[in-house]
Amino acid sequence: MNSKNACSQCPVDISEKDILEAMTEIGDYLDITPADFILIYKTAYQHAVHRLAGHVKAGDVMSRRVISASEDTSLKEAARLMAENNITGLPVIDHESRLVGVVSEKDFLREAGMGMDLSFMSVIARCMTDSGCRVSSLNSRKIRDIMTAPAVTVSENTSLSEIADILNERKINRVPVIGMNSKLCGIVTRSDIVSSCCAKIV
Amino acid sequence: MPYFSKMKGITKSPPAVKPAEIIWSWIGAFFGIIPMACMDDRLFSQGDVVMVIGSFGASAVLVYGAIRSPLAQPRNVLGGHVISALIGVSLYKLLPGHLWLASPLAVATSIAAMHATRTLHPPGGATALIAVTGSPKIHAMGYLYAVVPVALGALIMVFVALLVNNLSKHRRYPEFWW
Repeated sequence: MNSKNACSQCPVDISEKDILEAMTEIGDYLDITPADFILIYKTAYQHAVHRLAGHVKAGDVMSRRVISASEDTSLKEAARLMAENNITGLPVIDHESRLVGVVSEKDFLREAGMGMDLSFMSVIARCMTDSGCRVSSLNSRKIRDIMTAPAVTVSENTSLSEIADILNERKINRVPVIGMNSKLCGIVTRSDIVSSCCAKIV
Repeated sequence: MPYFSKMKGITKSPPAVKPAEIIWSWIGAFFGIIPMACMDDRLFSQGDVVMVIGSFGASAVLVYGAIRSPLAQPRNVLGGHVISALIGVSLYKLLPGHLWLASPLAVATSIAAMHATRTLHPPGGATALIAVTGSPKIHAMGYLYAVVPVALGALIMVFVALLVNNLSKHRRYPEFWW
């Protein structure tokens, strides 16, 4: 079965007992075994997920109120913004709302961990060694210095299944949605995809 | 739903099976029926069909052609045939000379009994009917009819199904035994 889909983990784990109870409740003679029903259910579920993921576009699920920053924003301010809003990344825009890049936790970690694996623990490990903590050295710097540019972007018409593939391949957690002239119009995160995918089916 | 609009149906017929399924069905049915046909030919005088009864043809459709159906499982094949045979013979004996009544009663009662015992197997209805409307030779057997040809034939078909239906990587039989 083809399960190269972000939503392949979604199916409600229906059990043989559920099917037997449903059959008892329906009471008519149904010419199918519980095992075959589960097989049909799971296979059909994959098809439904695929169909829905193809139909749903970025524009349908993206957040339109995006918290963003400019290239000149200090890293201190950017970190505060992300912490306050409980997010892990910010699209970076110019004065005309055009997307110029993205700054995320990973960019911070890369700077603080000095090229080690980009994880929280690598920063901790770094801070506990002689060279000390490098986070303070980010104090005077601006988003421009560490952001990822150009950013991976999608348009409002990109389907969710394409976005899911992009997120998986690039190992990123969010992708800005841009319109005409690179203007930022929204953002799609992994959790947007998860909630839209399951909500459509259940 | 209003009475007549229910007659329009509500859905599409299922898609065709893969060609391999058609070929395996053919092979299974051929080897499932041939043992009875041979026994019939050797043991009894020609023209007297006693080991081969029509309902085995119907069973072959299920046991080799729709092998995942609950109707095609060993419990249903053996139980459905034997129970229906007993009911058919009983009604023939209870209502001698009243074929018009014994026939529908045999079929209807068989279906009810198969449902109640969770052994529904459509060819059982034919097995019951044959007990009532069959040849003088079948009538003469009495309850033996439920053993030979009915139980023996059902056993042979299930046995062949176990051998043939498990040859293909994509097929398996049975789904359940009991």
